[in-house]
Amino acid sequence: MNRILGLAAAAIASVSLTVPALAHHGFDTEYDAKKRVALSGVVTKIEWTNPHMHIYIDVADPAGTVTNWNMEMASPNTVQRQGWGRNTLLPGDKVVFEGYGGKVVESHGALSRIAKADTPDKPLFIQGGPEAKREGFPGQ
Amino acid sequence: MIAATVLALAAAVLVRAQGQPPQQEERVRQIPAGRPGPTETDPKVINLPVPRMHDGRPDLTGPWVGGGSDADIEREGGLKPGELPLLPWAVELRAKREKATYEEPYIYCLPMSVPRVNPYPWKFVMGYTAKGLTHIYILHETGDAGAHRVVYMDGRTHPDPDRLFPTWWGHSIGRWDGDTLVIDTVGYNDKFWFDARGTPHTEQLHTIERWTRVNNGTLVNNFTLDDPGAFSRPVQLRFEARLAAAGIDLMEYICTENNQLGIAGGYRLNTDGRLEK
Repeated sequence: MNRILGLAAAAIASVSLTVPALAHHGFDTEYDAKKRVALSGVVTKIEWTNPHMHIYIDVADPAGTVTNWNMEMASPNTVQRQGWGRNTLLPGDKVVFEGYGGKVVESHGALSRIAKADTPDKPLFIQGGPEAKREGFPGQ
Repeated sequence: MIAATVLALAAAVLVRAQGQPPQQEERVRQIPAGRPGPTETDPKVINLPVPRMHDGRPDLTGPWVGGGSDADIEREGGLKPGELPLLPWAVELRAKREKATYEEPYIYCLPMSVPRVNPYPWKFVMGYTAKGLTHIYILHETGDAGAHRVVYMDGRTHPDPDRLFPTWWGHSIGRWDGDTLVIDTVGYNDKFWFDARGTPHTEQLHTIERWTRVNNGTLVNNFTLDDPGAFSRPVQLRFEARLAAAGIDLMEYICTENNQLGIAGGYRLNTDGRLEK
Protein backbone atom coordinates (compact mmCIF):
# COMPACT_ATOMS: atom_id res chain seq x y z
CA MET A 1 0.00 0.00 0.00
CA ASN A 2 1.37 3.31 -0.96
CA ARG A 3 1.36 5.86 1.79
CA ILE A 4 2.72 9.26 2.47
CA LEU A 5 3.08 10.32 6.03
CA GLY A 6 3.26 14.02 6.59
CA LEU A 7 4.77 15.73 9.55
CA ALA A 8 1.74 15.24 11.76
CA ALA A 9 1.68 11.52 11.13
CA ALA A 10 5.40 11.21 11.51
CA ALA A 11 5.25 12.96 14.84
CA ILE A 12 3.35 10.08 16.33
CA ALA A 13 5.70 7.47 14.96
CA SER A 14 7.80 6.39 17.87
CA VAL A 15 10.13 4.04 16.05
CA SER A 16 12.51 4.18 13.16
CA LEU A 17 13.74 7.68 13.87
CA THR A 18 17.24 7.46 12.57
CA VAL A 19 20.25 9.56 13.25
CA PRO A 20 22.50 10.95 10.57
CA ALA A 21 26.15 10.38 11.22
CA LEU A 22 29.14 12.46 10.21
CA ALA A 23 29.38 12.59 6.48
CA HIS A 24 30.63 14.20 3.38
CA HIS A 25 28.43 17.23 3.37
CA GLY A 26 25.94 19.18 5.34
CA PHE A 27 22.34 18.25 5.78
CA ASP A 28 20.69 21.60 6.28
CA THR A 29 21.79 23.06 2.96
CA GLU A 30 19.51 20.68 1.16
CA TYR A 31 17.25 18.66 3.40
CA ASP A 32 14.53 19.53 5.86
CA ALA A 33 14.52 17.63 9.16
CA LYS A 34 10.80 18.46 9.44
CA LYS A 35 9.98 16.81 6.11
CA ARG A 36 10.04 13.30 7.47
CA VAL A 37 8.71 10.85 4.88
CA ALA A 38 7.80 7.16 4.92
CA LEU A 39 6.93 5.79 1.49
CA SER A 40 6.76 2.68 -0.63
CA GLY A 41 7.48 2.19 -4.29
CA VAL A 42 9.47 0.44 -6.97
CA VAL A 43 13.21 0.90 -7.49
CA THR A 44 14.03 2.26 -10.94
CA LYS A 45 17.77 2.92 -10.68
CA ILE A 46 20.69 2.50 -8.28
CA GLU A 47 23.75 4.67 -8.70
CA TRP A 48 26.90 3.24 -7.09
CA THR A 49 28.58 6.63 -7.24
CA ASN A 50 30.62 9.01 -5.09
CA PRO A 51 30.41 10.98 -3.00
CA HIS A 52 27.10 9.30 -2.22
CA MET A 53 24.93 6.60 -3.72
CA HIS A 54 21.49 7.50 -5.02
CA ILE A 55 18.47 5.24 -5.28
CA TYR A 56 15.61 6.26 -7.54
CA ILE A 57 12.18 4.97 -6.59
CA ASP A 58 8.81 5.37 -8.32
CA VAL A 59 6.18 6.26 -5.74
CA ALA A 60 2.47 6.49 -6.60
CA ASP A 61 0.18 8.70 -4.58
CA PRO A 62 -3.41 7.67 -3.81
CA ALA A 63 -4.57 9.28 -7.08
CA GLY A 64 -2.10 7.18 -9.02
CA THR A 65 0.30 9.96 -9.91
CA VAL A 66 3.83 8.57 -9.93
CA THR A 67 6.80 10.56 -8.67
CA ASN A 68 10.36 9.34 -9.10
CA TRP A 69 12.09 9.96 -5.76
CA ASN A 70 15.84 10.45 -5.75
CA MET A 71 17.10 9.33 -2.35
CA GLU A 72 20.67 10.04 -1.31
CA MET A 73 22.52 7.40 0.68
CA ALA A 74 26.02 7.08 2.07
CA SER A 75 29.15 6.48 0.00
CA PRO A 76 29.35 3.17 -1.90
CA ASN A 77 32.17 2.20 0.43
CA THR A 78 30.03 2.67 3.52
CA VAL A 79 27.17 0.74 1.95
CA GLN A 80 29.48 -2.10 0.97
CA ARG A 81 30.70 -2.20 4.56
CA GLN A 82 27.09 -2.66 5.61
CA GLY A 83 27.18 -5.89 3.66
CA TRP A 84 25.64 -4.90 0.33
CA GLY A 85 26.44 -6.71 -2.88
CA ARG A 86 25.67 -5.70 -6.44
CA ASN A 87 22.39 -7.65 -6.30
CA THR A 88 21.19 -6.67 -2.83
CA LEU A 89 18.71 -4.26 -4.37
CA LEU A 90 17.86 -4.06 -8.05
CA PRO A 91 15.58 -2.07 -10.35
CA GLY A 92 12.10 -3.54 -10.15
CA ASP A 93 12.32 -4.38 -6.45
CA LYS A 94 9.40 -3.18 -4.36
CA VAL A 95 10.59 -1.31 -1.29
CA VAL A 96 9.50 0.64 1.76
CA PHE A 97 11.73 3.50 2.78
CA GLU A 98 12.05 6.46 5.12
CA GLY A 99 14.00 9.68 5.01
CA TYR A 100 13.86 13.45 4.79
CA GLY A 101 12.57 15.48 1.87
CA GLY A 102 14.55 18.15 0.05
CA LYS A 103 14.01 21.75 1.12
CA VAL A 104 12.97 22.86 -2.34
CA VAL A 105 12.86 19.69 -4.44
CA GLU A 106 10.93 17.55 -2.00
CA SER A 107 11.34 14.32 -3.95
CA HIS A 108 15.14 14.70 -3.80
CA GLY A 109 15.60 13.35 -0.32
CA ALA A 110 18.01 11.87 2.17
CA LEU A 111 17.43 8.17 2.79
CA SER A 112 17.48 6.96 6.36
CA ARG A 113 16.10 3.41 6.01
CA ILE A 114 15.07 1.06 3.24
CA ALA A 115 13.75 -2.51 3.14
CA LYS A 116 12.11 -4.76 0.59
CA ALA A 117 8.34 -4.49 0.76
CA ASP A 118 7.85 -8.16 1.63
CA THR A 119 10.36 -7.97 4.48
CA PRO A 120 9.83 -4.49 5.95
CA ASP A 121 11.34 -5.45 9.28
CA LYS A 122 14.66 -6.38 7.70
CA PRO A 123 16.23 -3.10 6.55
CA LEU A 124 18.91 -3.29 3.90
CA PHE A 125 20.34 0.11 4.75
CA ILE A 126 20.05 2.21 7.81
CA GLN A 127 22.03 5.22 8.77
CA GLY A 128 24.09 5.40 11.92
CA GLY A 129 22.80 5.39 15.44
CA PRO A 130 21.27 3.02 17.96
CA GLU A 131 18.79 1.77 15.38
CA ALA A 132 21.60 0.21 13.39
CA LYS A 133 22.78 -1.75 16.41
CA ARG A 134 19.27 -2.71 17.48
CA GLU A 135 18.45 -4.00 14.04
CA GLY A 136 21.47 -6.25 13.98
CA PHE A 137 23.85 -4.47 11.64
CA PRO A 138 27.39 -5.74 11.97
CA GLY A 139 30.26 -3.71 13.33
CA GLN A 140 29.70 -0.63 15.45
CA MET B 1 8.39 17.26 19.21
CA ILE B 2 9.83 15.08 16.52
CA ALA B 3 12.79 17.37 16.14
CA ALA B 4 13.45 17.22 19.84
CA THR B 5 13.27 13.44 19.81
CA VAL B 6 15.67 13.18 16.92
CA LEU B 7 18.00 15.66 18.56
CA ALA B 8 18.00 13.62 21.75
CA LEU B 9 18.84 10.47 19.83
CA ALA B 10 21.60 12.27 18.02
CA ALA B 11 22.98 13.53 21.29
CA ALA B 12 23.09 10.03 22.73
CA VAL B 13 24.97 8.70 19.74
CA LEU B 14 27.47 11.51 19.66
CA VAL B 15 28.14 11.29 23.38
CA ARG B 16 28.77 7.60 22.99
CA ALA B 17 30.99 8.11 19.99
CA GLN B 18 33.10 10.92 21.30
CA GLY B 19 32.64 10.99 25.04
CA GLN B 20 31.72 14.66 25.01
CA PRO B 21 28.47 16.56 24.90
CA PRO B 22 27.50 17.34 21.30
CA GLN B 23 26.06 20.49 19.90
CA GLN B 24 22.48 19.95 18.93
CA GLU B 25 22.73 21.60 15.56
CA GLU B 26 24.98 18.81 14.37
CA ARG B 27 21.89 16.74 13.95
CA VAL B 28 20.73 18.79 11.02
CA ARG B 29 24.14 19.68 9.66
CA GLN B 30 24.88 16.17 8.50
CA ILE B 31 23.45 14.09 5.75
CA PRO B 32 22.72 10.44 6.54
CA ALA B 33 25.92 8.57 5.97
CA GLY B 34 25.71 5.18 7.58
CA ARG B 35 27.85 4.35 10.52
CA PRO B 36 31.33 5.77 10.87
CA GLY B 37 34.03 3.44 9.67
CA PRO B 38 34.07 0.33 11.84
CA THR B 39 36.81 0.26 14.46
CA GLU B 40 38.31 -2.49 16.57
CA THR B 41 36.22 -3.11 19.68
CA ASP B 42 37.88 -6.15 21.27
CA PRO B 43 39.79 -4.93 24.37
CA LYS B 44 42.23 -7.81 23.98
CA VAL B 45 43.20 -6.59 20.53
CA ILE B 46 43.17 -2.92 21.51
CA ASN B 47 45.48 -3.51 24.46
CA LEU B 48 48.06 -5.58 22.66
CA PRO B 49 51.61 -4.16 22.64
CA VAL B 50 52.46 -1.59 20.00
CA PRO B 51 53.74 -3.43 16.90
CA ARG B 52 57.13 -2.35 15.64
CA MET B 53 58.93 -2.12 12.34
CA HIS B 54 62.19 -3.91 11.58
CA ASP B 55 64.15 -0.85 12.77
CA GLY B 56 62.34 -0.78 16.11
CA ARG B 57 60.13 2.20 15.30
CA PRO B 58 56.44 1.92 16.16
CA ASP B 59 54.33 0.73 13.25
CA LEU B 60 51.90 3.60 12.74
CA THR B 61 50.31 2.20 9.58
CA GLY B 62 46.78 1.54 10.83
CA PRO B 63 44.32 1.96 9.13
CA TRP B 64 42.88 4.39 11.63
CA VAL B 65 39.52 6.05 12.08
CA GLY B 66 39.31 9.50 13.65
CA GLY B 67 42.14 11.40 15.27
CA GLY B 68 41.24 14.93 14.22
CA SER B 69 38.53 17.53 13.95
CA ASP B 70 35.45 17.24 11.76
CA ALA B 71 32.31 18.86 13.13
CA ASP B 72 33.79 21.32 15.66
CA ILE B 73 37.53 21.56 16.27
CA GLU B 74 37.04 23.33 19.58
CA ARG B 75 34.92 20.60 21.15
CA GLU B 76 36.57 17.65 19.46
CA GLY B 77 39.99 18.99 20.45
CA GLY B 78 39.01 18.91 24.11
CA LEU B 79 38.13 22.55 24.74
CA LYS B 80 35.00 24.08 26.19
CA PRO B 81 32.83 26.44 24.13
CA GLY B 82 34.59 29.76 23.73
CA GLU B 83 38.03 28.50 24.77
CA LEU B 84 39.46 28.49 21.25
CA PRO B 85 41.42 31.77 21.18
CA LEU B 86 40.11 33.07 17.86
CA LEU B 87 40.67 36.71 17.02
CA PRO B 88 37.46 38.77 16.70
CA TRP B 89 37.48 38.75 12.89
CA ALA B 90 37.79 34.96 12.93
CA VAL B 91 34.91 34.59 15.36
CA GLU B 92 32.83 36.77 13.07
CA LEU B 93 33.79 34.77 9.98
CA ARG B 94 33.00 31.47 11.67
CA ALA B 95 29.57 32.78 12.63
CA LYS B 96 28.91 33.73 9.01
CA ARG B 97 30.09 30.36 7.77
CA GLU B 98 27.83 28.53 10.21
CA LYS B 99 24.92 30.06 8.34
CA ALA B 100 26.42 29.30 4.93
CA THR B 101 27.42 25.66 5.12
CA TYR B 102 27.08 25.36 1.36
CA GLU B 103 30.28 27.43 1.06
CA GLU B 104 32.38 24.74 2.73
CA PRO B 105 35.20 23.72 0.36
CA TYR B 106 35.10 20.11 1.54
CA ILE B 107 31.62 19.57 0.15
CA TYR B 108 32.92 20.56 -3.30
CA CYS B 109 35.30 17.60 -2.99
CA LEU B 110 38.32 19.73 -2.09
CA PRO B 111 40.83 18.43 0.48
CA MET B 112 39.86 18.56 4.14
CA SER B 113 43.47 19.20 5.25
CA VAL B 114 44.91 19.28 8.78
CA PRO B 115 43.80 18.44 11.43
CA ARG B 116 40.50 17.37 9.93
CA VAL B 117 39.76 13.65 9.76
CA ASN B 118 36.38 12.51 8.50
CA PRO B 119 34.94 9.23 9.84
CA TYR B 120 36.50 7.01 7.20
CA PRO B 121 39.72 4.96 7.31
CA TRP B 122 43.11 6.55 6.75
CA LYS B 123 46.68 5.39 7.18
CA PHE B 124 50.30 6.35 7.54
CA VAL B 125 52.23 4.65 4.74
CA MET B 126 55.75 4.36 6.10
CA GLY B 127 58.03 4.66 3.08
CA TYR B 128 61.28 2.80 3.66
CA THR B 129 64.06 2.93 1.09
CA ALA B 130 67.71 1.85 1.19
CA LYS B 131 68.26 5.01 3.22
CA GLY B 132 65.68 4.04 5.82
CA LEU B 133 62.37 5.74 6.51
CA THR B 134 62.66 8.72 4.17
CA HIS B 135 58.99 9.60 3.59
CA ILE B 136 55.63 8.98 5.21
CA TYR B 137 52.55 9.30 3.03
CA ILE B 138 49.23 9.97 4.69
CA LEU B 139 46.30 8.57 2.73
CA HIS B 140 42.63 9.10 3.56
CA GLU B 141 39.85 7.11 1.96
CA THR B 142 37.94 10.36 1.58
CA GLY B 143 39.11 13.92 2.01
CA ASP B 144 42.33 13.86 0.00
CA ALA B 145 40.57 14.88 -3.21
CA GLY B 146 42.94 12.74 -5.23
CA ALA B 147 46.05 14.16 -3.60
CA HIS B 148 48.28 12.61 -0.96
CA ARG B 149 50.01 14.22 1.97
CA VAL B 150 53.79 13.78 2.17
CA VAL B 151 55.81 13.98 5.36
CA TYR B 152 59.53 14.26 4.63
CA MET B 153 61.51 12.12 7.08
CA ASP B 154 64.89 12.58 5.40
CA GLY B 155 66.10 15.44 7.53
CA ARG B 156 65.30 18.27 5.15
CA THR B 157 64.04 21.59 6.47
CA HIS B 158 61.16 23.74 5.32
CA PRO B 159 61.84 25.79 2.16
CA ASP B 160 62.90 29.40 2.38
CA PRO B 161 59.85 31.67 2.66
CA ASP B 162 60.29 32.79 -0.94
CA ARG B 163 59.99 29.18 -2.08
CA LEU B 164 57.15 28.25 0.24
CA PHE B 165 53.92 28.40 -1.73
CA PRO B 166 50.49 28.06 -0.14
CA THR B 167 49.05 24.58 -0.67
CA TRP B 168 46.18 22.51 0.72
CA TRP B 169 48.42 20.17 2.73
CA GLY B 170 51.36 22.50 3.32
CA HIS B 171 54.98 21.42 3.64
CA SER B 172 55.49 18.73 6.29
CA ILE B 173 58.74 17.52 7.84
CA GLY B 174 58.79 14.73 10.39
CA ARG B 175 61.10 13.32 13.04
CA TRP B 176 60.94 10.86 15.89
CA ASP B 177 60.89 11.97 19.51
CA GLY B 178 61.29 8.57 21.16
CA ASP B 179 58.25 6.62 20.00
CA THR B 180 56.35 9.76 19.00
CA LEU B 181 56.19 10.91 15.39
CA VAL B 182 56.43 14.70 15.30
CA ILE B 183 55.18 16.41 12.13
CA ASP B 184 55.87 20.10 11.64
CA THR B 185 53.90 21.77 8.84
CA VAL B 186 53.86 25.26 7.32
CA GLY B 187 52.86 26.59 3.92
CA TYR B 188 49.13 25.98 4.16
CA ASN B 189 46.66 27.93 2.09
CA ASP B 190 43.78 29.64 3.89
CA LYS B 191 41.02 27.95 1.92
CA PHE B 192 40.07 24.89 3.93
CA TRP B 193 37.91 24.92 7.02
CA PHE B 194 39.03 23.19 10.21
CA ASP B 195 35.52 21.82 10.67
CA ALA B 196 31.94 21.96 9.46
CA ARG B 197 31.42 25.06 11.64
CA GLY B 198 33.82 26.93 9.43
CA THR B 199 36.57 27.66 11.97
CA PRO B 200 39.02 29.72 9.90
CA HIS B 201 42.77 30.19 9.69
CA THR B 202 45.30 32.13 7.63
CA GLU B 203 48.39 31.30 5.57
CA GLN B 204 50.40 31.94 8.74
CA LEU B 205 49.15 28.61 10.09
CA HIS B 206 51.86 26.41 11.61
CA THR B 207 50.91 23.02 13.02
CA ILE B 208 52.82 20.49 15.08
CA GLU B 209 51.33 17.02 15.34
CA ARG B 210 52.68 14.59 17.91
CA TRP B 211 51.39 11.12 17.06
CA THR B 212 51.85 8.41 19.69
CA ARG B 213 50.51 4.87 19.39
CA VAL B 214 49.78 4.28 23.06
CA ASN B 215 48.62 0.71 22.51
CA ASN B 216 47.75 -1.50 19.56
CA GLY B 217 44.33 0.06 19.09
CA THR B 218 44.84 3.73 19.99
CA LEU B 219 46.76 6.55 18.33
CA VAL B 220 46.91 9.90 20.13
CA ASN B 221 47.39 13.17 18.25
CA ASN B 222 48.64 15.95 20.51
CA PHE B 223 48.16 18.90 18.24
CA THR B 224 49.64 22.38 18.46
CA LEU B 225 47.86 25.02 16.39
CA ASP B 226 49.73 28.27 15.92
CA ASP B 227 48.31 30.94 13.65
CA PRO B 228 48.93 34.53 14.74
CA GLY B 229 46.75 35.68 11.85
CA ALA B 230 43.59 34.15 13.30
CA PHE B 231 44.40 33.18 16.91
CA SER B 232 45.57 35.30 19.83
CA ARG B 233 47.98 32.58 21.01
CA PRO B 234 49.03 29.01 20.14
CA VAL B 235 46.54 26.44 21.31
CA GLN B 236 46.98 22.81 22.32
CA LEU B 237 44.38 20.24 21.24
CA ARG B 238 44.14 16.49 21.66
CA PHE B 239 42.54 13.96 19.36
CA GLU B 240 42.42 10.20 19.43
CA ALA B 241 42.28 7.76 16.52
CA ARG B 242 41.12 4.17 16.83
CA LEU B 243 42.42 1.19 14.92
CA ALA B 244 40.13 0.08 12.11
CA ALA B 245 38.49 -3.30 12.53
CA ALA B 246 40.13 -6.33 10.96
CA GLY B 247 39.43 -6.49 7.26
CA ILE B 248 38.86 -2.75 6.88
CA ASP B 249 41.15 -1.05 4.39
CA LEU B 250 40.98 2.04 2.23
CA MET B 251 38.67 1.81 -0.76
CA GLU B 252 38.40 3.87 -3.93
CA TYR B 253 36.60 7.18 -3.54
CA ILE B 254 36.29 9.55 -6.50
CA CYS B 255 34.46 12.39 -4.86
CA THR B 256 33.55 14.43 -7.91
CA GLU B 257 31.90 11.54 -9.71
CA ASN B 258 28.27 12.39 -8.94
CA ASN B 259 28.14 15.23 -6.45
CA GLN B 260 24.51 16.40 -6.49
CA LEU B 261 25.20 19.02 -3.88
CA GLY B 262 22.59 21.73 -3.67
CA ILE B 263 19.93 20.37 -5.98
CA ALA B 264 17.49 19.36 -3.27
CA GLY B 265 17.92 22.74 -1.61
CA GLY B 266 17.18 24.71 -4.75
CA TYR B 267 20.71 26.02 -5.25
CA ARG B 268 22.49 26.39 -8.56
CA LEU B 269 26.10 26.87 -9.52
CA ASN B 270 27.17 30.44 -10.19
CA THR B 271 29.98 31.51 -12.50
CA ASP B 272 32.49 30.96 -9.69
CA GLY B 273 31.46 27.34 -9.43
CA ARG B 274 29.78 27.94 -6.08
CA LEU B 275 26.20 27.47 -5.03
CA GLU B 276 23.73 30.30 -4.92
CA LYS B 277 20.01 30.47 -4.42
